Amino acid sequence: MIPSTPEYAVALAMLICTAGAAVTLATARHRALAGWIAFGVLALSGLLALLGAASVLLTEPSHAETLFTARRLGFSLRLYVDGLSAVFLILIATVSILAALYSIEYMQHRLEHGVGRYYPNLLLFVAAMYGLVSTTDMMYFFFIFWQMMTLTGYALIRYEPRKPENLRAANRYLWMMQLACGVTMLGAALIAHDSVVTPGGETLLRFDFDAVSHHLPQLLIDQPARVTLAFALFLVGFGIKLGVWPFGRIWLPDAHPAAPSPISALLSGVMIKTGIYGLMRYFIWLVPGSVQAEFPLMKWGLVLAALGTVTLFTGTAQALRQEQSKRLLAYSSIGQAGYLVLALGVCLTLLSSTQPLMPALAATALLGALFHTLNHGVFKSLLFLNAGSVLHATGTQDLNKLGGMLRYMPVTGGTALVASCAIAGVPLFSGFASKWTIYTAAIQGHAAAPILALCAAIAILTSTLTLALFIKFFGAIFLSRTSVLVHDLSRRPQPLEVGWKMRLPQVILLALCLFAGLFPGLMLQFLSRVLQTSRQGLAVTLADAVPASVWTGPSLQSPGHPAVYVPLIVALVFVLMCFFARWLASLGGATRRISAPWLCGYAVEGELNRYRAGHLFDDLKNCLGRKRPPAPVPLTERSAPGQPSNPIPPWSPEKN
Amino acid sequence: MKTAFLIAGAFANVLLVLLLAPWFEGILRKLTAQLQSRQGPPLRQPFFDLLKLLGKEDLETGEMPAVQRAATYLGLAAVLTTACLIPLGFGSPLNGAGDVILLIYLLTFCSVCTLMAGLASGSTFSMLGSSREVMCLVTLEPILAVAILIGAVHRGSFRLDTVLDGSVYASAAFPWSGLVILVVVVLSMQAFLQRLPFDIPAAETEIMDGALMEYSGPKLALLKFSQMAKLVLYSGLFVHLFVPWGAHLAFPLGWLLFWLKVLGVVLVVTVIAATHARYRIDQAIRYFAGLLLVALVALVLASYGY
Repeated sequence: MIPSTPEYAVALAMLICTAGAAVTLATARHRALAGWIAFGVLALSGLLALLGAASVLLTEPSHAETLFTARRLGFSLRLYVDGLSAVFLILIATVSILAALYSIEYMQHRLEHGVGRYYPNLLLFVAAMYGLVSTTDMMYFFFIFWQMMTLTGYALIRYEPRKPENLRAANRYLWMMQLACGVTMLGAALIAHDSVVTPGGETLLRFDFDAVSHHLPQLLIDQPARVTLAFALFLVGFGIKLGVWPFGRIWLPDAHPAAPSPISALLSGVMIKTGIYGLMRYFIWLVPGSVQAEFPLMKWGLVLAALGTVTLFTGTAQALRQEQSKRLLAYSSIGQAGYLVLALGVCLTLLSSTQPLMPALAATALLGALFHTLNHGVFKSLLFLNAGSVLHATGTQDLNKLGGMLRYMPVTGGTALVASCAIAGVPLFSGFASKWTIYTAAIQGHAAAPILALCAAIAILTSTLTLALFIKFFGAIFLSRTSVLVHDLSRRPQPLEVGWKMRLPQVILLALCLFAGLFPGLMLQFLSRVLQTSRQGLAVTLADAVPASVWTGPSLQSPGHPAVYVPLIVALVFVLMCFFARWLASLGGATRRISAPWLCGYAVEGELNRYRAGHLFDDLKNCLGRKRPPAPVPLTERSAPGQPSNPIPPWSPEKN
Repeated sequence: MKTAFLIAGAFANVLLVLLLAPWFEGILRKLTAQLQSRQGPPLRQPFFDLLKLLGKEDLETGEMPAVQRAATYLGLAAVLTTACLIPLGFGSPLNGAGDVILLIYLLTFCSVCTLMAGLASGSTFSMLGSSREVMCLVTLEPILAVAILIGAVHRGSFRLDTVLDGSVYASAAFPWSGLVILVVVVLSMQAFLQRLPFDIPAAETEIMDGALMEYSGPKLALLKFSQMAKLVLYSGLFVHLFVPWGAHLAFPLGWLLFWLKVLGVVLVVTVIAATHARYRIDQAIRYFAGLLLVALVALVLASYGY
């Protein structure tokens, strides 16, 4: 079968993944072989998906393909890859290929657990996500793909079942996902009406997306309360997946750290994004443009914006308390998901306004959400891979036990620095560009809904919290002083830095991150094709309003041109200033000498007087929540009586 | 022609900051000394200090001296890039390449570089100082951000030249939001400039200059220089946002008036700093958090047109 259309390409990708799952199960005895097969399968299927997505976005929109129909049972597998699906396909394909390459070496040393439970599940998990973002069936195939994703995800999260907390996390994930599935399907059942025959003579079944969309206007007039209830259920269902307040903290921060690190990267970078996909698809693409006035867009928009704002603040504030690297990243994922929901809320709110420029701003907000989805997928996957590399090298996620790793793991540390800058919104990096797009849309939109300016201000405030968070993450692991643990490990003959199969995915993600940061205009231009190639529902209004001329080349501008950001010029000035600073520092011809830090002259450096990550920002944590005394150093880590109190010998100068 | 003009403007801004920042620092030190019945150093002393530091031996105590070097270079570069965004008597040179959101984030990034320097040296005291600096940053930077956003909301624009022009008072009705945010920013000005009573992250008498404790020689010179430059930049920003009157006078007059106003801000800051004692970090954070809430209220007022 030659994939002549994007839909066949995606179907083929899913088939390849499923077949690959069987093959990796058969070859699970040979770890490396199974790993390479899984990588090959994901690379092949990923390339197919990327080809499909590229052909949709770059050439012309395709048509939905019905692969098979079981009329008597009332369901058919109808796939449709439009621009919106394409963006998510690109994200899934990119991250899954890299995670598979990373897995080969990561799983090599986990000898106590077989890979027979790992690679097949990984492949089916990715296949399910491909299906979920391209199926048009809101009931049966939604259920099948969702369950496939949930159950394989469950198996992957409880991959190391000997730890009771992993089992608990996996069970909680399973039940929350089942709840989300049920709630979403109930919503679909409420608004599904009858089958419909297209002008082309094709019969669309009752639960098909287009059939539901076709009957929605009548239902909206007859039973508005029913429609509202259905959309509320969609919001809850996809909100659970995305980790929106108050559902996020129930499952997300437990599940992400329990899974093996490449899976955490996929869970956080990609899987929770199916939640925002669902929200966008149902709230914008499902509602026909003809009922824009009847559908309570403004109310839904404000609800989403408020939920997003609460989510981003609470998620990030809770992350500040965490002392386990992957748990901290998981909480910050909740925070970043808040930005996506906020942007979608801004889009819906502004769409309802009749003022000029507002549809253009709504389109900008939606593109900002998509841009942030891609950016977050890239840098959060990268951060989880970084945390995984550190876990792989040291065997711990505890920030208190780590320190000074940059010396021993320069590639992991360097990529982690860039990813931290990106997520914290440092200018010139990718997170700043996408947040910039969201902020400008929200603040300019205050003319339509004044409260949006407050939401944007809280988002800006939260981004300084994110900065604090990643100063803690990066500073505690890679800077600070070498801890006892790292010191002991560094004495082993083999280097701490991970092998090339784990370094390469990190470097590729780094390159993607830098590109998106320096050329945001190109990214937005590319993403605006999304709206042009998926003209359906309210997205038609957005597509017509896309400000075509404002994202030319490298610069970002907001509709109406009141805001502008040209990263290349700022970068040029910045680099020149760096050279100037370097020249200034070398003017005096000062000599350099390496020496030990000064501890008031009477103490020697040791584990007990090392500043531990748990103490960072104590007063801020107290200000944000209830007071908690800082955790004392566990007795086991203190030296036994009779032994010298400083396990680390006094710091000896070493040429770096 | 226009590009050449902008490049010249950027050079002028950077030169102004480089030359005037130590001089303002000198005024600050002299005035503090006078208020405390001391003689005080001559006004040009900070220049001599910087020159001396540039030639002194550079002790590197971090585990990765390369990170320490990079952090100091980036720190000064960030401050000077910010200087190209803020109009300093002339128009803003980078008006076409960035807006106020970039400005807000760049100002934060200036502090982040100092933090990285502290974390990279990694002594217990510099870690403590860095931790304090982050806590102040998280509660303080949003206040300035909200002040700028209020201007942006009033003007409906994010352009540097439009917002940094007394925009907080540019509301349709009586500018309540502008007055509220003026009070809030005045009350937090000492903290933006890291002067007493809010010099908690550095606190020489407690934690020995915090993040900068392990630095000497040219690196300390660059870090000190960035701090002095921040004094000028924040004062300039304050003048643009809250005391805009007379900014559009003809060249020498408007220019002189701007720098006189900046001098006035520095003098006020100095007088407050010289006569107050330091707050504890937990007191300061609660104080900033309260101010931040008031600032958010002002933003809501602004978005409703007041």
